[in-house]
Amino acid sequence: MPFAGFNMPINYKTGIINEHKNVRNHSGIFDVSHMGQILIENNESYLHKLEKYIPLQLKKLIKNRSHYSFLLNKDGGVIDDLIISNIDIKENSYLYIVYNASRKKEDEEIFISCAPNAEKIYNKNCLFAIQGPDSINVLKNIIDIPNNMNFFDILISKYNNNEIIVSRSGYTGEDGFELSIPNEIAENLITNLLKNENTMLCGLGSRDSLRLEAGLSLYGHELNEKITPIEAGLSWALDKERLEDENLNGNKVLSDQLKNKLSNKKIGLISTSKSMLRDGMTLFDNNNNEIGKITSGCFSPNLKKSIAIGYIISEFNTDNPIFCEIRKKLELVKINNLPFVKKNYKKNGSVYE
Amino acid sequence: MGAYMSEKKYTKDHEWVSIENEIATIGISNHAQESLGDIVFIELPSVGNSVKAKDEICVVESVKAASDIYAPIDGEIIEVNNNLENDAAIINQDAENEGWIFKMKISDSNQYSELMSEDEYKQFLEQ
Repeated sequence: MPFAGFNMPINYKTGIINEHKNVRNHSGIFDVSHMGQILIENNESYLHKLEKYIPLQLKKLIKNRSHYSFLLNKDGGVIDDLIISNIDIKENSYLYIVYNASRKKEDEEIFISCAPNAEKIYNKNCLFAIQGPDSINVLKNIIDIPNNMNFFDILISKYNNNEIIVSRSGYTGEDGFELSIPNEIAENLITNLLKNENTMLCGLGSRDSLRLEAGLSLYGHELNEKITPIEAGLSWALDKERLEDENLNGNKVLSDQLKNKLSNKKIGLISTSKSMLRDGMTLFDNNNNEIGKITSGCFSPNLKKSIAIGYIISEFNTDNPIFCEIRKKLELVKINNLPFVKKNYKKNGSVYE
Repeated sequence: MGAYMSEKKYTKDHEWVSIENEIATIGISNHAQESLGDIVFIELPSVGNSVKAKDEICVVESVKAASDIYAPIDGEIIEVNNNLENDAAIINQDAENEGWIFKMKISDSNQYSELMSEDEYKQFLEQ
């Protein structure tokens, strides 16, 4: 199916549910080469310009660590969500940023305006994710992974004398790794990983159901330019000191939102029937008043029910019943805390802060 | 008994129909099952309803999308496959036999003759 200008498989031959379970129980490999990857020189003037958009203290990022963050517009809305890491490649220090395929144009305009020599590397490096509790064992057979590598650590490793960027991260709620691999060796490396009979290639379908069970936001669904990270329930990813800094886009909006009540809140929902909850469906209270919308929905192979993420008005008392309009009928849905399935990251202490 | 079991025919909406003694059995084609992916739920039609060809009469939900199922010909719904209520994945396993969805008493057998034969359906899929 077409996805952000790429032709991407929704699933491979065994189907979405099987791929999903294989990731939760063993491991699975996702080709995410459609995503943006860029290297920006770790230069004070570039970092200062980027800090207008990115709510982190970029000069203080720890070497070999990754952070989940955003590009913000002047109202504090999310231009994109991204993973930003501080790494050395061939003795030069860089910010390595991975961002959404669907937002390449908007993001790159900003990156290039801040750092004219920023280097897009997605045309020469593939990006693969291996996810699931067995990922470490599958990967260790062919690449050196230090035992003390934690979730959101990142390093340069070698495969067949080529440098690859290895980060312990992913977007499934499971332990796992993302590998930025030079095109010339990518097929060989992935074929080698797939020799392990417990791993398999997985498509966009299971990637979506895995991230939804893990309660993770997806750009274009839970996130867009009209929603701030605080409204999206992601204030943990904002550096609070930066909210006082007038150089940061939307800093006033964001610090006000932190102090005051928001108009909407993000919730998790679970179907009480066998019907599927889907993006765009409308939510109602028991007096037929519209109270919100679903932004993502899918079948959860772990819960064997449909699950969803959506936004509702904050005044709504969640002790009251919520109904979802499914094919012109109102069906009762239940609130469920996010995530639906517990995250299983490898970490000593906390990943953030 | 003189029971007459017809050849299986197909619609452009990827349903199959077979007729025995003026009773049509209907399901979705194996091709449809493959493109829908894992089927998790089916809303079955109501027994006793009279329907016209092309009416939307029930819905199949897969992990990818909800798909309407249309009546292939005019008639009355006389039976539904209740096994699918508990396990809609039967359609993935055996779309054109055990995964049948509903039966109709048909009113106009000419409508049936106009549907595609298996070979014609294969050609239709290749287009």
